[in-house]
Amino acid sequence: MSKGLIVVPIVAVLLVAQVGVALASGTSDLGPGCGLGKVAWEGSRIDTNTVGAQLLISTTNNTILPWQAFGITTGIFGCKNNGKVWAEEKTNMFAAINFENLSQEMAQGQGEHLASLATLMGVPAEHQAEFFAMTQDRYTSLVKAGEASPVAMVKAINSAIATHPVLAQASTR
Amino acid sequence: MQLPRIQSLHRLPLANNQHRASTSWSKPCVFLDRCLCAVLILISLFFAYPSSVNAEEAEGNPYLAQLINQAVQLQLADEREWHLLLHYRPNLFGGYTSEADDPQFFLSPLGRTDSHAELEGTIQSLFSEEPVGSSKQPAQCSFIARYHWLKERLAIDESKLPAVDCERFELWFNELNAESITLIFASAYLNNPASMFGHTFLRIDQKGQTEQTRLLAYTINYAAEVPPDEGALYPIKGIFGGFKGYFSTPPYYLKVQEYRDIENRDIWEYPLNFTEVQVRRLLEHAWELGSAYFDYFFFKENCSYHILSLLEYADPTLHLTDRFHVWTVPADTVRLVAAQPGLVKGTMYRPSRRTVIQRKRERLSVEEHRLFVDITEHVGSIKQETFVRLPIQRQALILDVTSDYLRYRSETDKSHSSVYKEQNRAVLATRSALRIPTEDVKIDPFSKQPDLGHGTSRASVGAGWRNNDTFEELSIRAGYHDLLDPEIGHTQDAQVEIASVSVRHYNRAEQTRVERATLANILSLSPMDALSHGPSWKINAGMNTIRFGSCQLCSNGVLNGGIGAAVESHWLKREVVFAFAEAEANYSRGYEEDHRVGGGGTVGLLADLTDRWKLMASGTYLRYALGDKSDDFRWFIGQRYTVSQNWALRLEYNHRDHDNDGVFSVQAFF
Repeated sequence: MSKGLIVVPIVAVLLVAQVGVALASGTSDLGPGCGLGKVAWEGSRIDTNTVGAQLLISTTNNTILPWQAFGITTGIFGCKNNGKVWAEEKTNMFAAINFENLSQEMAQGQGEHLASLATLMGVPAEHQAEFFAMTQDRYTSLVKAGEASPVAMVKAINSAIATHPVLAQASTR
Repeated sequence: MQLPRIQSLHRLPLANNQHRASTSWSKPCVFLDRCLCAVLILISLFFAYPSSVNAEEAEGNPYLAQLINQAVQLQLADEREWHLLLHYRPNLFGGYTSEADDPQFFLSPLGRTDSHAELEGTIQSLFSEEPVGSSKQPAQCSFIARYHWLKERLAIDESKLPAVDCERFELWFNELNAESITLIFASAYLNNPASMFGHTFLRIDQKGQTEQTRLLAYTINYAAEVPPDEGALYPIKGIFGGFKGYFSTPPYYLKVQEYRDIENRDIWEYPLNFTEVQVRRLLEHAWELGSAYFDYFFFKENCSYHILSLLEYADPTLHLTDRFHVWTVPADTVRLVAAQPGLVKGTMYRPSRRTVIQRKRERLSVEEHRLFVDITEHVGSIKQETFVRLPIQRQALILDVTSDYLRYRSETDKSHSSVYKEQNRAVLATRSALRIPTEDVKIDPFSKQPDLGHGTSRASVGAGWRNNDTFEELSIRAGYHDLLDPEIGHTQDAQVEIASVSVRHYNRAEQTRVERATLANILSLSPMDALSHGPSWKINAGMNTIRFGSCQLCSNGVLNGGIGAAVESHWLKREVVFAFAEAEANYSRGYEEDHRVGGGGTVGLLADLTDRWKLMASGTYLRYALGDKSDDFRWFIGQRYTVSQNWALRLEYNHRDHDNDGVFSVQAFF
């Protein structure tokens, strides 16, 4: 099992992010500033197939992700003005990469990964305690969703927030 | 390599031709002023300029001509900030060469070695929206730090040179949402040679960030791009600049995962005192570097070196990179940064998972620890009555450290990773049912922060006796740390000695000789217990001086490697007992057939007697089956007393068959 389980969703997320960006931007003139870079997209340095392969290889070597994924002018972030899509992708990527840390912290009822996830999901700092208690309460079902896909876990947390008496009001998203 | 000046002059006409073809660079006077005297500079400024190759370009655009003229008069090309922006370093020929190796980083074909040509090329490019640099943006955006610096220094009039909208930069900059910068040090990790000296990078702290959400900040990281199938050439290429190094901005959570969770390295964070303007300068320069590459040199132009160069551009009054000539050791750069008055705001510690587990285990009672071990071995033990009867907070603590341990095992024992993960799920399910949050406990490091550690290099002066002779000794070691050196700020039980030499003068023999030399002597002790099973290992290549047979003082080449185990105890303060099985090859004219090869073992003890006083004792037996068939029994006792951060005293005694050697030395680190 090891990294494979984590990597596959990462690749999926990154590629989804990239397609989302390519579609959303609708212009080919952005240059290498988006979605693993237009360089990656155009295949001049890496193509989308090898991105997956590189992620896998570099992750098993513990170097996690190739520089291209977070290259300064070729990185995957900052692609969209309209922050909504990017904010979602950021949350999904965070959940995918930190799934093990998140599940541990959900069970423990606190932690910095969980606090960061709460921030990404628009939970204000003063309501973090409720968020922690809620994810601890629903630990089993959330992790089950997360094992299927981190995106599903984020969705499950989102719907839990929506039905939560306090968080539903407090959440900024 | 860089072009010598003569060659530059040779290339001049060619370059002029190039100019006519491409209209994209510079004028000859700039070259003259680099090789001739000040008078000629002035002449070239006032007389050569109108006839320069830029004339036709400049005629078309008087403002361009004016700006270039202004820049020449202000001598901007000789200013420190311009040199920092272009990463110029004095070269062997009295000129300058940029450390950047990407031709697209320069806007003049001669820019790599000619700061004046590059300055003009840059000013000229600012007038064009044509994409330049490997990131393919208009020059004002690709090289946004240069643009802003020139804009300020030349008071560029936007009505004459309109500003280009740098949307990509703005997106990136807004996403970073930067407020401040933190220098991050990931401590040494011996099991990966590339990480043996630690690693540094910068974190871009976000506005509104809390201690809990630091993970979401982005970082600026410089690393060599190593193809996955590099194989055996990897170290050679890494040392001699065979790889390209790139800057990137991964989120901090990825770095934390890599260092803390996977490689079990402690992380130290040093928030820096930069103003908003300085933070912006740093990021603008990082943006420029983001699309360029530098040849990566493991020892000098490495991660830490380039991180320093970013800090220097943020605050040009800092002089950091020019302190490093031959190698840039990450911990040295941290010490240098920490030593700058007012630069560092504080220190924060982020323990590795391994440290967390060890510290939490210390909080368990004997009974609780037994339960913890039981659960790691068999999850069903959670149902034991002795466990269920414990107060709920104690149950939570046991389950938390169990989960940490299972995650640690799933990273370190990949073949059983899925088993550990499954166990961890069961443990966490039980933990979540306790419905209480984990208490925040302060985790203390086992070794203190790196800026308190001794310097990388060491010089020693000593005297002693050997058999019936006395001697004086001088030693110098390039780096880094041995088991007896003051341990503060260094990874525990990790020895990395690179390039050391000792010269002795024997008084009675009236002989001065190279007594010892070490190419590399690396030793990693990993204390084992019921839960950690990592091996200890060592490797040593060098020479020493032996007495063998009829040879009184004989040079002896040594190659030794071993694998073993270590155990930690706390009878006094902290002791580590170790044992190695090892193989050794010796080469000396003292031996029959000039060599011998054999195997054997070592046992030893490393003990902290007080905070300053450390003892090491070891005994080795080796039997040589090849070459000179012989055996060797030797033992060693050494003691160190720490005087201050960079001063220590040593008393060492070495025994071999009919060969006794005692030395007292004073050691200084720098």
